[in-house]
Amino acid sequence: MSFLEIKNLSIEFGGLRAVDDFNLSLKQGELIAIIGPNGAGKTTVFNMLTGLYAPTSGSIDLNGESLLGLKPFQFAQKGIARTFQNIRLFADSTVIDNVKMAYTHKSRETFFQCLFRTPEMVRQERELDEHALKLLERFGLAGQADLLAKNLPYGAQRRLEIVRALMLDPKILLLDEPVAGMVTTELDDIATMVKKLRDELGLTIILIEHHMNFVMPIADRIKVLNFGQTIAEGEAEEIQRNPDVIAAYLGGGYVYANA
Amino acid sequence: MKAIIRKILPLLGVVALYFLLMYLKSIKVMNAYHIQVLMFAGVNIMMTVSLNIVNGFTGQFCIGHAGFMSLGAYGASIVTTLIFGGYHVAENLRIPVFLLGLLVGGIVAGFVGLLIGIPTLKLKGDYLAIVTLAFGEIVRATLRLIEPIGAARGMIGIPAYTNFAWVLFFVVVTLILARNFIYSRYGRACLAIRDNEIAADSMGVNTSKYKIISFVFAAFIAGIAGGLYAHIMSFVQPDTFSFVKSSDYLVYLYAGGTGSLTGSILGALVLTVLPEALRAFGNLTNWRIVIYAVILVVIMLYRPLGICGGKELPFLKINRKSLYEKNFFGRNKDRKPEMPELSER
Repeated sequence: MSFLEIKNLSIEFGGLRAVDDFNLSLKQGELIAIIGPNGAGKTTVFNMLTGLYAPTSGSIDLNGESLLGLKPFQFAQKGIARTFQNIRLFADSTVIDNVKMAYTHKSRETFFQCLFRTPEMVRQERELDEHALKLLERFGLAGQADLLAKNLPYGAQRRLEIVRALMLDPKILLLDEPVAGMVTTELDDIATMVKKLRDELGLTIILIEHHMNFVMPIADRIKVLNFGQTIAEGEAEEIQRNPDVIAAYLGGGYVYANA
Repeated sequence: MKAIIRKILPLLGVVALYFLLMYLKSIKVMNAYHIQVLMFAGVNIMMTVSLNIVNGFTGQFCIGHAGFMSLGAYGASIVTTLIFGGYHVAENLRIPVFLLGLLVGGIVAGFVGLLIGIPTLKLKGDYLAIVTLAFGEIVRATLRLIEPIGAARGMIGIPAYTNFAWVLFFVVVTLILARNFIYSRYGRACLAIRDNEIAADSMGVNTSKYKIISFVFAAFIAGIAGGLYAHIMSFVQPDTFSFVKSSDYLVYLYAGGTGSLTGSILGALVLTVLPEALRAFGNLTNWRIVIYAVILVVIMLYRPLGICGGKELPFLKINRKSLYEKNFFGRNKDRKPEMPELSER
């Protein structure tokens, strides 16, 4: 049974059809990659899947329930978490606060409990601290819990964004270029991390990425977008051999050798 | 045990401060005028903290904050003066009436904050500033038209219930509540909105809701401060709460440092006391406003983030590290994996 079902998703900005007829059906635990040249509409798809853009037509169903018309925070509360292409951390807050901020809607603290800092509220805060620290520790960030997010090195900021998304306890994780601007060793770290997210947490992941040697080994399926159209879909080897993809993305006549 | 001492010490400090000032007054080092300046400083601290919650911690931009103050001032004065007849009320009922008035003032301001917050907090940056500016002027213009509360002449005969102890009490309560608010899920949501609204939205934070909560909370505090102000002055007039007053609070806030309660205290205290203190220099009297402005320029040049710039005195923040370091860092100090070991969920 597919639990995320996207049908005929399209969006127009003025006269420009940025995404045209995007279809995707996801099973639990799948890892799908969306690739395509710059401006192909990949991030636009993510923005529709998280409610930042309202699609012109089409449908998004999660577990048979339509998500159309919901606000971005409701998408997140339904279990679709994301990271951003250009990192969007809460820069002036500490690392641990960044993670705790993603727990806001689940927190049971009431306003008056908070104002008077009742023992019950303090207990919940303590539990939240421990929960956040456990998650941070798992991704090697516990030692930096008290640093401001903006003072973290670049790679750690990317990891923190993923940890923050995990704090939502998501069903689906959308990663927008998680290894953009990273060197090869960092890239391997993130690849291991993403694989573990899928294998050990059973997360369903949609990934946007340009790095072929990052995407090819870990993706179950790959979708290729160009000018908003889906031009190919399939497993890594098929995609690499597909002449349309080679022409549109990898460059005419160039065969990707490394994957 | 140590934690309890750390909690009580600042409160003891405030009590000691009170008795020190009262002693100074009794031996005639300070006079009633000095005490009154400090009372205004206290009201201004409350207003600045309130503005800080909206502008500093939630990252919105309200420039009509005196509007909430006037609503509180009028709300409280109507209760104590028009409904309960000012000094005609029985002696032992004065304090309850005063507190009821303050509460009503706070609620009126908070309610109006809710009414204007719902439509306007969807706006961002400059647009929100313009709307709040207009709001402040609408309140002022409306109060000028209502005859039963004195219209443009203002309202007289308000009993001077507020004394220094009350001001000190409400400043302390405001600081404690504001601190608790900031170090809770509400405060975290506000900080998330300030730091990156899109990310906050994508992390399940209902941004409109938390913006409105912080706005209403701030308006409530401003209303209480307005009530206190009215009962110091014994007189309120709509024009007192003009845009000039709002911009005063903006100056206190940004000179003290946004996002810091310590900054709000220092900014409001220093900039309220300073122009009064400069009066003392006989032949400088006419220059005092110039000196005041120069000091402001110097603060902004050398401390662009304000006097405190995001820093906080220890008792004005809740040290969360101590919440978890014992039961977490203590146990895992030696084990800091570079790369994750993903085990059980």
